[in-house]
Amino acid sequence: MLRPFEIHEPATVTAASRLLAYYGDEAAVYAGGTELLPVMKEGLAHYPHLVNIKTIAGLESIAFHQGILRIGALATHRQIERSPVVRERLPLLGQVACGVANLRVRIAGTLGGNLCFAEPHSDPAAVLVASGATLVLARDAEERRVSAEAFFTGILQTVRLPDEILTGVEVPDPGPGVGAAYHRFALHERPIAGVAAVLAVHEGIITRACLVVGSVGPIPARIAEAEAGLIGQAPAGSVLSAAAEAAGRHADVLEDLYGSVDYKRHIVAVMARRALKEAAARGHVEAT
Amino acid sequence: MDERSEAPARRRIALVVNGNPVEAEIEPRELLLDFLRHRLGLMGAKRSCDVQVCGSCTVLLDGEPVSACCTLAYEARDRQVLTIEGLADAGRLHVLQEAFIEHAAVQCGFCTSGMILTSLELLREVPAPVPEQVRSHLKGNLCRCTGYRRIIDAVVDAGRRLAAEGASS
Amino acid sequence: MSAETHVVGTSIRRVDGVEKVTGAARFVGDLVVPEMLYGRVLRSPVPHARIARIDVTAAERMPGVVAVLVGRDLEGTDPFYGHAIKDRPIVALDRVRFAGEPVAAVAATDEAAAAEAVWAITVDYEELPAVPTLETALADGAVRLHEGPLRPGLFHGLGELRREEGNICYHYRSSRGEVERAIAGADLVVEGEYTFPAVYQYAMEPHTVIAAWGVDGLTVWASCQHPYLVRAELAELFGLPQVSVRVIVPYLGGGFGSKSYTKMEPLTAALSRKAGRPVRIANRVDEAMVTTRRHNMRCWMRTAATSDGAVVARQCKIWLDTGAYADNGPRVAATAGDAAPGPYRWQAAEVDAWAVYTNTPPAGSYRAFGATHLIWIGEAQIDALARRAGLDPVEFRHRNLLRPGEEVRPGGKPLDADLVGDVTKVAAAVGWGKPKPPLVGRGVSVGLLAAGANPVSTAAIRLQADGTAVLLVSTTEMGQGARTVFTQIAAEELALRPERIRVMGADTQFTPYDRSTGASRSTTLAGKAVLRAAADVRGQLLDIAAGVWGLPRSALAIRDGAVWHETESLSFPTLIARHFGMPGGEMIGRGEVRPERGTGSYAEGPVFWEVCVGGAEVALDPETGRIHLRRLASVADVGKAINPQLVEAQDEGACLQGVGNALFEEMLFEDGVLVNGSLLEYRVPTTADMPDEYRSIIVENADGPGPYGAKGVGEGALAGVVGAIVTALADLGVEMYDLPLSPERVWRRLRELEAQGTVLLRD
Repeated sequence: MLRPFEIHEPATVTAASRLLAYYGDEAAVYAGGTELLPVMKEGLAHYPHLVNIKTIAGLESIAFHQGILRIGALATHRQIERSPVVRERLPLLGQVACGVANLRVRIAGTLGGNLCFAEPHSDPAAVLVASGATLVLARDAEERRVSAEAFFTGILQTVRLPDEILTGVEVPDPGPGVGAAYHRFALHERPIAGVAAVLAVHEGIITRACLVVGSVGPIPARIAEAEAGLIGQAPAGSVLSAAAEAAGRHADVLEDLYGSVDYKRHIVAVMARRALKEAAARGHVEAT
Repeated sequence: MDERSEAPARRRIALVVNGNPVEAEIEPRELLLDFLRHRLGLMGAKRSCDVQVCGSCTVLLDGEPVSACCTLAYEARDRQVLTIEGLADAGRLHVLQEAFIEHAAVQCGFCTSGMILTSLELLREVPAPVPEQVRSHLKGNLCRCTGYRRIIDAVVDAGRRLAAEGASS
Repeated sequence: MSAETHVVGTSIRRVDGVEKVTGAARFVGDLVVPEMLYGRVLRSPVPHARIARIDVTAAERMPGVVAVLVGRDLEGTDPFYGHAIKDRPIVALDRVRFAGEPVAAVAATDEAAAAEAVWAITVDYEELPAVPTLETALADGAVRLHEGPLRPGLFHGLGELRREEGNICYHYRSSRGEVERAIAGADLVVEGEYTFPAVYQYAMEPHTVIAAWGVDGLTVWASCQHPYLVRAELAELFGLPQVSVRVIVPYLGGGFGSKSYTKMEPLTAALSRKAGRPVRIANRVDEAMVTTRRHNMRCWMRTAATSDGAVVARQCKIWLDTGAYADNGPRVAATAGDAAPGPYRWQAAEVDAWAVYTNTPPAGSYRAFGATHLIWIGEAQIDALARRAGLDPVEFRHRNLLRPGEEVRPGGKPLDADLVGDVTKVAAAVGWGKPKPPLVGRGVSVGLLAAGANPVSTAAIRLQADGTAVLLVSTTEMGQGARTVFTQIAAEELALRPERIRVMGADTQFTPYDRSTGASRSTTLAGKAVLRAAADVRGQLLDIAAGVWGLPRSALAIRDGAVWHETESLSFPTLIARHFGMPGGEMIGRGEVRPERGTGSYAEGPVFWEVCVGGAEVALDPETGRIHLRRLASVADVGKAINPQLVEAQDEGACLQGVGNALFEEMLFEDGVLVNGSLLEYRVPTTADMPDEYRSIIVENADGPGPYGAKGVGEGALAGVVGAIVTALADLGVEMYDLPLSPERVWRRLRELEAQGTVLLRD
């Protein structure tokens, strides 16, 4: 049951930010509504003022320009899943967009909403952290850029200030020889564990590695111990497996209804190994 | 309580429901499902899980399926809504409706309107889908009666028939 | 009558198909009664407490609020109900016994106002020690949830009920032969402890009730499976004659047992009475889940056989968690006890089943109850014995299964199905005996479910002057296709086209008595009443025609909506017009079914044994513990398929529910509080969980007690499939003792087996 609220329709980011600043705790950003409305219906949160940013033009566009893929915060999962630009430039994101929740949520839900809500079981979040994405936050007339890695600070928490609007996500072109993969294990709509791997392979040696574990802990996080074991090595099965084991050991894992800590660690290792293998194979293809 | 006494302003919206223009004054918090059921008496979309998982409340908004239980009526302003009541054409059942009956893809009927509308969107995108495509497309619509196989058969069959009609016309 | 049928045995389209694909079908939640208020329920957040104080003054003063109902409103009445045991108050009086128990209810002019008023009610709970699990409820010195004399409900059907000790709600025992001695003399014995989780029926439509009081009494529109049993309970609760309680049941959005017996009706009626206006209460899903559920269970079982492969004896102890109130717990315990031995030729068998009160939501009926709980356990042990005896599991079953006509349990109905044939068919359907890829296992499972409940149904047919007919029968159409099947039976008997017949939903003021809709009984029992009602009309028509022509009835035949003598015919309208002397009037036929031997009690029953036969081929991912279903098969041993397509649809639906029960469905409680009361966390099978291949095999041996030799279907596959998945996993060396077979649980078991040094997987 929704309690009463007002909907505001700013035409610009600045106007939206000012509304948010004015109403403070009483306001929330409203876009797809797929995360916000269920929470409000359950009475877990109440905002007498919703600031509808869908009335701001241009926040849904997806484009590739000067080596950067830019996805507007209002792009829906469905739009990302179907975007030829995404398919060409960041196919992994397109692939995970297909797996988000269900069709209806993908049609209404936005990438920006997914990221800002910071529900820990987010597939796109893990992929964007692994892809070295940058989030663009706007407040009044100012704009700042935060790496996806630094954006998430805890369960349902980010560095976004209450009056900031996430306007878009920028992902650098990975360049040649880079392979990426994401493996998730899910029983419900939301995954138990998801692991994103990005490997740059040059002349048979891993030169850059990014291994991000999502869904099991409060935030999608890179596992430095696993990455360290990959750099400078050939992408042999034993190397990848060892890194995967390290990911399972070092991931920040919380127990919840989806599973216990030791099982999730094990699943992280399994998914990490599968993701690394696939990323290495793709990197190899990319390089040749 | 105090929010009730200083109730937010109602809004006038105009939309098209099942081909008919509708104007209404709504509260911003009004859900599309309640708007359709309580205001317009369109009872085909059902409330079940209420957390946009089961698909019983599915309606098409500008041709795309949404969970009416978690969509504001406000979102339908200046848009086209199709509910199951608007699918048959002057009493003539749509091919999908025929196929659902023929394949016994209907049992209790509570999920049926959502299943059919979600499938309608698929058939518009993919004219003659194979079973695997239907299965994947309907993953977010729950049915507790059928076991799904007959639903998938019905959609595949309807797709084939529509494609054949399209080819012959 | 001749064995040849025209409509029966064909897959005519569902009679409710058009209504359901166009959104025209009405469910209780779609009905609007003039002046109707919206009810909301305040439910206890704690599992066990004394209610020290309830303050509703703020709630009562809120805009739109018409009435607030609490326990003290029921002072001076006997507010306890329960069809088996009258142990449950309409709304909590001075104590709550489970988290989710209704403590107050608000009626208001709109749902939002009702919801806000519920939030404004304050309750002081003095928490009591809780027994939210079987272990705590059965422990020495455990707090007792119910004291004083036990009051049997109107329909327990279980003979004399005795007050048991502690938190035991009901004890069922069955014993034959000397089990200890038989086991001592056996070569092979397997023994284990098992658990089954609490699961939710998850009908898509949550319980919804509208109650309205008028000068004539109480009218209730309810999403209920058993309108007449609800009527009787409401009449007793509110001190009304039965004719002053009218229960109307439109379509149900699924039942599966969740809407059997009385659920939200008393509370809605009490709230409406206080408000003085009609009230609707529609459960949310989280509320529906604490309204009823399947019993979780603990079981100990041992089974013995000879080394050359003959079963000897079985012993079993079953503890079923029935929650805070009995609901259908006693019957579930008895049915579990019936299913426990399995359909084998035992020298001795001994079963004890206890329904146990705990501080959890009440557990009741869910499709194939008792059988689903027990068959997988018994079959796991049968498989284990077969392996030890060095015999193929199917061959082992062939040697030991009962044959038709053999005694299933002392005093009960002998076996009325060809189980050997059934299990052979499912085995073949999952590729039995063919080479298996690595990490692929196959299993079969066979068992019996006591079906039919009490054999009491009545029906009436009104043949109109124009030759169309209205069929009056109180079976609830909840998706199973009852209205379609009855139409076919009536069409067959009256030689009418199905489209000339209408079947209405139950309205206790108009449609005649039917005991209930459940236990796979409707086709068999209500269907037989329909058949007899139609035959009654047919007889009347033949009599009229015989009079017209001056011929004996035996010279006449009925076909195509007319009575025939050789090439001459008199249409039904002509006959009716002749009878009444005007183009009006109607012929009314009545049919009834009642016990054909004894009193029709469960002990003398069941009406028939529903077979629970399943086959499975599974693939295991040993890294994640995830089970993939390659092939599933079930047998619909129906005697006669009135509508083969509907039979398969029933079987298929039961099968997928079995998949959910076997692999992932589980209600999770923390200290008695449900923590996954939403579809976000409670997982129901989706299209992603369908087996790669599925076969429902219809078996028609005309060996049922229903029309044309039919017997019920729709539950057995659920229990059969659960058993088959368990035995298929055991085929890979992974014997499981706890359901569901979630990936994590299977993975833990694999690690346990590894640690024991067991060579696991034929890889």
